[in-house]
Amino acid sequence: MAETAHRVLDADVEPQSLEAVHDLLEDWWTEVGAVPMRTRFGFETAVVEIAGNVVEHTRRLDGTPGRRFRLTLSADERTLSARFEDNGLPVQVDLSEVSMAPVDDEDGRGLALALAALDRLDHSVVDGKNVWELECGRG
Amino acid sequence: MIEFDVRQEEGGTVVAPRGRLTMVSARSFRETVTEVVERDGGTVVVDMSGTTFVDSSGLGALVACLKTARQAGGDLRIAAPTEQVTMVLGLTNLDRVLRPRDTVEEALVG
Repeated sequence: MAETAHRVLDADVEPQSLEAVHDLLEDWWTEVGAVPMRTRFGFETAVVEIAGNVVEHTRRLDGTPGRRFRLTLSADERTLSARFEDNGLPVQVDLSEVSMAPVDDEDGRGLALALAALDRLDHSVVDGKNVWELECGRG
Repeated sequence: MIEFDVRQEEGGTVVAPRGRLTMVSARSFRETVTEVVERDGGTVVVDMSGTTFVDSSGLGALVACLKTARQAGGDLRIAAPTEQVTMVLGLTNLDRVLRPRDTVEEALVG
């Protein structure tokens, strides 16, 4: 199926890069075309949560300078997709274990929010790189 | 980027985050609300009409600020959330504890 919108961001793994992720999304939406608001907000939330997860994990496990990530956004007539690749230490993620944090907790909501907003979320380690794949229908 | 407008009203202090409340800005939001609680006590109303986006770090900050306000004998209420904020509050069930009000005036009353 023909791709209608495609954007790529290469950035340092640091909190400020989340602003660049938002800017990329804003620019991408202008070309994606009509999508229901809830789908748009859900997808955007999931992308920002995974970006935050990449930053958080790298900071906690590693801290080595030079860690980078690449975000690729693409859309066709039916699907919105995002792919993250980072060169941080490979992490083990079991998404089947993820559940929404109790309301009193101050963290533990990121992956659960992403899962709730998407049709598909996968994490794998490919050639030593963490790869996240996100997908949802255009609604 | 984000800015925090703080103003005192009859019934409480209103904190209005303008922009995105995310991992980048969650800490400064917590510090702003903590300062308000220490200075004014009572009710803090978070006017979210200008908050275009909240992520899980921002939600965590709201939960922390609710605890801070209650520990000081006050309360924290959310007013006028935008569409994305309403969606994430619902997906995380936080709308049950943060119970958003439609307007700042309504939130100040209780």
